Parts: sequence; C-alpha cells; structure tokens
Amino acid sequence: MTALLEARQVVVRFGGLEAVGGLDMAVARGAIHGLIGPNGAGKTTVLNVLTGFIRPTAGRLVFDGEEIGGLNVNGFARRGLARTFQNIRLFGAMTVLESVLVGAHQRFSSSAPALIFGGRAARAAERAMIARAHELLTFVGLGREVVDRVATTLSYGHQRRVEIARALMSSPKLLLLDEPLAGMNALEKQEIADLVRQVRAQGIAVLLIEHDMQIVRSLCDHLTVLEYGKRLADGAPEKVLSDPAVQAAYLGRTR
Amino acid sequence: MDYFGQLLANGLVLGAIYALTAVAFTLVYGVVRLVNFAFGELFMLGAFLTTSLMLPEVRLLGTVVPMPGFPLPIAALGAIVVTGIIGVVVDRIAYRPLRNAPRLAPLITSIAVSVVLQSLAQTIWGAEELRFPQFYLATLEPVVLFDSIYLSVMDLVVMATAIVAMLGLSLFIARSSLGRAMRASAEDQTAAMLVGIPVNRVVAAAFAIGSGFAALAGLLYAQTYGFAHSSMGFLPGLKALTAAVLGGIGSVPGAALGGLILGLVEALGAGYLPNGTAWKDAISFVLLVGLLYLRPQGLLGRPELNSAGRGSLLGGASSAGVGWLQAVFARFDALLTRGAAAGTPAAFGLLAVAVVVGLMVPSDYWLRILTMVVIYGMLASGLNVIVGFAGLLDLGFVAFWAVGSYLTSILFVLVLKDGYGIAPQEVWWLLYLNLPLAGLLAAGFAVLLGTPTLKLRGDYLAIMTLGFGEIVRVVAINWMDLTNGPMGIRGIPAPNLFGISLGSPRAQFFFALALAVVVVFAVARLVRSYVGRAWVAIREDEEAAEAMGVPTARYKLYAYAASGFVGGFVGVFYAHSQQYISPLNFSLFENILLLMLVVLGGLGTFIGPFVGALIWIAFLQLALDLPFVQAYPETRFALLGVVLIVLMVFRPQGLAASARVGLTMPGARAKEAA
Repeated sequence: MTALLEARQVVVRFGGLEAVGGLDMAVARGAIHGLIGPNGAGKTTVLNVLTGFIRPTAGRLVFDGEEIGGLNVNGFARRGLARTFQNIRLFGAMTVLESVLVGAHQRFSSSAPALIFGGRAARAAERAMIARAHELLTFVGLGREVVDRVATTLSYGHQRRVEIARALMSSPKLLLLDEPLAGMNALEKQEIADLVRQVRAQGIAVLLIEHDMQIVRSLCDHLTVLEYGKRLADGAPEKVLSDPAVQAAYLGRTR
Repeated sequence: MDYFGQLLANGLVLGAIYALTAVAFTLVYGVVRLVNFAFGELFMLGAFLTTSLMLPEVRLLGTVVPMPGFPLPIAALGAIVVTGIIGVVVDRIAYRPLRNAPRLAPLITSIAVSVVLQSLAQTIWGAEELRFPQFYLATLEPVVLFDSIYLSVMDLVVMATAIVAMLGLSLFIARSSLGRAMRASAEDQTAAMLVGIPVNRVVAAAFAIGSGFAALAGLLYAQTYGFAHSSMGFLPGLKALTAAVLGGIGSVPGAALGGLILGLVEALGAGYLPNGTAWKDAISFVLLVGLLYLRPQGLLGRPELNSAGRGSLLGGASSAGVGWLQAVFARFDALLTRGAAAGTPAAFGLLAVAVVVGLMVPSDYWLRILTMVVIYGMLASGLNVIVGFAGLLDLGFVAFWAVGSYLTSILFVLVLKDGYGIAPQEVWWLLYLNLPLAGLLAAGFAVLLGTPTLKLRGDYLAIMTLGFGEIVRVVAINWMDLTNGPMGIRGIPAPNLFGISLGSPRAQFFFALALAVVVVFAVARLVRSYVGRAWVAIREDEEAAEAMGVPTARYKLYAYAASGFVGGFVGVFYAHSQQYISPLNFSLFENILLLMLVVLGGLGTFIGPFVGALIWIAFLQLALDLPFVQAYPETRFALLGVVLIVLMVFRPQGLAASARVGLTMPGARAKEAA
C-alpha cells in the first residue's frame, strides 16, 4: 500500500539558513506518526511545509497519490490535511460552535441567492453541519454547556479540544497536531492521547509533534527523528528510541 | 526645453514641500507604527499660525485681534514650536491611551483628530482664505536660469530649507542619544522599554519633530501659493503620505526621495498630459495604487511593515471610564444582549417602531431627517460588511455609492430625458430595475478594485482603498461627458410607482424603510451562514482561516462585492431622493463619516450602523439649537470627532457592540434542544 503523505527531498532555506535539508518521510494510512527531535530541529517548519504554510525551496509533496506542492494553504486543507497550531489559534469573538463550523467550510456550497432567499438545501446543509459539530464536540470531550461560549474564553485544555474538533470538522484524511500535549498535566495528556487513538480508530491518520517520550513511545506507530533539519532516524518507536545516534542527540542537547 | 526646465523647477519646489510632510508621516510611523492622518491638518495649522503671526491683525472667531506682525523667520519659528506642542498634546490625549490597542484603532482616531482640527480651524479663522502677507524676500527679482527658467528667491529658500531640515534630522537621528533611542524604539518598543528607554518621551519627541516638519511644509506651501485655508492640508497631506509610502514608510531618505519623485511627476504630468492640471491629483493616486500593488514596501522600505493585524479592528471592551458611565453602559448592554438573543422578533419590533414613527411624525422636516438616518444607516451597513465583518478597512466605499447614484441619474436624466426626450414618469419602472442593476455594477466594480488589494493588510489596505476612492472622485469631476463634472446632475425624478409619485417626504421615508428591510435582511442572511463565518474567521485570524480550507482571497472579494452591492443599491435611491448629485456628495469625508457611524454604533453588528446614523443625524439637528453652533456650524464636525475620540478610548467596541450577531442560520438549531 502506498503512503498517504510522502515528502521527497524537501529543502527549506530561509535566506542563507537551511532549516530543512533534503528530508524524506512518509506517513502511512491509518498511522499515528510522531515527529520528534531536539528544540530547533525544524519540526514545526516541516509541519508548516506539510500544510502548505511554507512553500519548500525544493522537493515534492505527494498526498493520496496527488502532487500538492503548488497548492495554496486552503488547497491543502481541501485535499484532507487539517492541522492545529503550537500556540492555539482559535477565532476570537466566535463561539465554540461557530469556530468549529468554520472547519466545515469546504463542505458548504450554497450560492448567495440560496442563502438570502433561504433555500431548502442551504438550510439542510447548515443543520447537518451543526449536528456534526455537536457530535465532534462530544467526541473531543466537551459538553453542551460550552457550545455557545466565546471559544477564547475557555480554559487552555478546552481550547485545545475545540481546535482539534475544528480540524476534524473538515473530515480530514490526515490530522497534524503541533505539540497537542504542551502545557498539560499527566491526566490531561492521557486523555488527549486517548483522543488521538480514537481519531485513528475512525481511519484518520495522525502526525504529531511531541516532546514527552513516554507518551510518544506508547502512542505512535512510527517515528521520524529530526536533527538540524535532517532525518536522523525513522522507523518503529522501540527501534528508533534505542538508536544510539538518537539518544546522543537527545542526551547531548536536552541535558 | 524652457518649458521642461520650468516644470522641473516647479516640481522641485512642490517636491521639497511634500518631502518635508512625508518626513512627518515616516518619523511617527517608524516609531509607533501609526499613520497619523492628522499631519495634513498640522500642516494647515503651521500655515495659519505663520500667516497670522506675520499680519498686523487677524479676524479670529469673527473679532479682529491685533497680531505682532513678525517677520517671516520669527513667525515661522513660532508656528513650528506651537504646532509641535499641539502634536504632542494630540498624541498624549488621543493616541497614547491606544498604544496597545489593535492598530486600526489609532488610525481611525487620527482621522477623527483630523476632522476636529480642520473644523476648529474653520471656526477660528473662518471659511475664507487668509492671504499670505507680502514680505521683503518675496519682492526680490526672480533668478533666471538659462535665460528662460524663472525661480523666485523664495523658491530657492524653500528648497534650501527642505535640504537643511532633512540633513539636520538625519544627523540628529544618527548621532544624538534621543535619535538613538528613537531608532531603538522603532525596532522593538518593548525591548527598548526594558533597557530603560523612556518610550513615551521618545514617541512624544517624534510627534513634536514630525508636527514641526508638517508645520514647516505648510508655511512654505502657504508662502508659495499665497494663502492659508482650513482645508488646504487635506490633499497635500494625502500626497505626502503617498510620498512616504512611495519611498518606503519609516525611512527618512525614502520620504525625501518619495516627495521629490511625487513633486516632479505631478508637475511634469500637469504640464505635458492633455488637460493635465485637471488630472494632476489623479496622477499621484494612480502612482500610489500602482506602487502598493507592485512593491508595497516602497522604494527604500522594509517588507515586514505590511504585517497582518489579527482580531477585531478596534479591540474589545475597555474598562476605562467613570463609574456611572460604566453603569449606564452595563444597563444598555444588557438590553442589547437580550434584543440580539431575541433576533428576528427584536428586528420586527424595531421595524414596527420605525413604521409608527413614520406615520406619527407630523412635520415634513423631520421626515426628511429620518429618511437621511435610514439612508446613512443602509450605507453604513454596506460598509460594515467589509470593515465590521471581514475586518478590511475600506476608505473607498463611497465609490460604490457613487456608481449607483450616477448610473440611475445618467440613465434617467442625461440619456433618456436629454438624449431621447423621454419623460421620467413614462419609464418609472426603470428605477426598480436600476436598484439591482446598480448593485451588480457596483459589486463588479468592487471586485475590480478589491483584487489588487488582496495582498495588502491593515494600514496599507486603508491607504490603497483611499487612493481608489480619490481616483474615482477625480474621474467623476473631470469626465464631463459622462457625469456633467462639478456641475452635477439636476432634475433626477422622485421615485414613482405605477405613475403615482412617491416624492412626498412620508412616502420617501417608507420607501427608504422598505429598502432598509431588504438590505438588512440580505446582509443578515449572508452573515448568518458559512459565508459570514468565513468573513469573521478572516478578520480574526486570516492564516488559521486559510488552514481550515477557507479560500481567504475569494472571500475577501465576496465581502467587497456584497459591500459594493449595498452601496450601489442604496446609491440609486439616494439620487432619486436628493434629485441632485455632484462629485461633492461622494468625497472622502463622506466615507470617513460612514466609517465613524459604524464605529460609533458598533462594528460587526446589524443594528450598529443605524444606531450610529441615528445618533449622528439627531446630533446634527439638536446641535443646531445651540447658539454657538448656530454661529459656527463647523463645530458640529469637531464635536463628532471629539465624541469619536472619547469613544475610541473608553468604548472602542462601539455603543451597540453587545448586540452580538450569531453566525449560524436562524432556525437551523431549533431541534437540537431535544
């Protein structure tokens, strides 16, 4: 079976600095794929490349058998790549329900006249998406009481969950999470890890950046280790984490 | 060659004046990232103060006041110092409280400051020009170059002054400790504060120097053209801003270069293009728009200044203000929140109130005023789509309004009546066809103007749309065959239905009310759907919206189109209700006024534009009862400006902000409670 997402020889240069140097990686369908590495290794840059935020200096991106390198950011999203942000980026002034509905943007198609004159199809689509949003909010563990609150007034942990629900709203094939566990306590981390497993159980592949090695070891099926923008190791977690080169990179730099 | 040389010399003088004003914009922008529109007015104050100080007596507020009659250098110095102090005071009162507010809040405040200063100047010095007095240097024989180019001694003085002032400033910024502190604050204000730089004092210094430069430019301008006038700063201010953007805003050498280029292009364009003098104002703005499209960072500027603003334009609730005012607002907010939650019933309630008022009001006079409230409310609703919901500050909205008004006026008067001799009542139905037609035309126009702005954000977007608005106005004035030029179009028929005239004030009011129902209903339906959610998402975080699959460029154009449609649609009725239109009806001031109404009422609400319009028009009328205002009608605009500044500081979200608009389709959630 071919990979869901494949990056081939991706290079990113900012001026003279090479942030990513000839990276090859592949995310398999239905996998939970971890992207790890010491601080400054280029993890977020890679995630930004994979979601279209940064256009690579060189290299190819193939998603679901299609070349996607030249698309706009919204093109990536429309093809089925949904993401969350390292610093949560919810829409201020919007309620939780409204924010989550933005994730379903591409699934609406009513014309302006249909919206203005209240077409039956437009109403049905809205109803269906609101129902779906409620399902997803329940799925990520948020109760009905938060639905109409302004999203940015929720607690940090709840905001993360809203962001995940918003990303899932587009029915993605691949969900990319940039440090979804950052700033959480042990219990919350377990809850989010369980949530990620449930997402995978629905057939959605997950790529995540994470620092907590215990969680990474238990959660991920596959790991890619970055150091200085290059691939240091790639494979099953047990194998990768026992690799002396990986251990040296981590021990040498984090303590 | 002689002609060319003379134009070149004129261009250099004009360029020197633009360059000096551009330095003011660039200096303040560099330090606080604020486009201070009020520099045009400080320019004007410099001119008035110098002229007044040089005269033996001046008529101020209608009374003759003796003046010292200083020679030019002393008068100029006095004017520069006083204007510098005014600049610092303006910063302290109007801008400093907004230092951490979203960037467009101080921008809008600066527009309000501009309105206040201009109205005050008109109140003090009157509506007529104040002639610049004769003085020794101006009586000297002009210098003749190459036997044919005449340069007055004062022209040379203007150029020399500009060069000396700008070199001095560059040295000051490069060498002095205050200059170093300015550069540090420009790089990173927080970091500058952390290392102990008194940032507020540095900013005050930038305002003082900038205002001094504006005053210097203004007095040189007044000297060159021989007069001072309360509206003299408006166009040179915009052009200096253009020059600053041209050179790369934030860069002093860039401002000098930009001013020079603009002065030369304008002088040569006026001299060589057919009918160039009439079009010379358009030349600058075409240059501005073209440059912003191709190279928004300017010739010598840095690209990052076109940065994304996130979130609402004006920021959320402010906790500043006295207790009782907070309590009043709290009561008001609770009422609005309940009203907004009720949604459709509340809207019907308001409509019923409007209908009853329309039936009960006995005087035609008040019916006309109420009709204006509804018209301005509708126009502001159109502007609200783009500014309030999509978060794009559009200063060219009047152009869409003008498209609608002109389309119907040209068809009815110039084509059918004058061209074919068809009486308007025979084709009364055309009005109803024109409404959607003008809407579509203006929407198309809006998309056309919107497309080149897609790359721009924040201040630059505002400046570019402003350029478009000005270009449209200059075209309307000069394209005589199409628009009748400054004379305008007379005899536009009143609305008519099946041969029954709807010209009476009461009929017009209900006509306007019916249109308002259509406008609000259509806008509300769009906003309360995935389209509105996409707009608000773009306003709050464009990149995140894009990552959620929203094609942000396309949805910005949709917002322009919707906003343009409303403008064109309402413009048709406006023309028929006024029965006379001219380019004066569609000036930048009208756009600013509409913007103020939306801000006053509350950006991104349905009721806000109407609240703003109601308050404004009622205020205009009630103020007329005050004896002081009767004597000086311009003070009303000053008062509006003051109200807006106070509002920006104490209640930036607008009066009706609590009437929060839901972004899901009404009724679509009915069943979920089960």
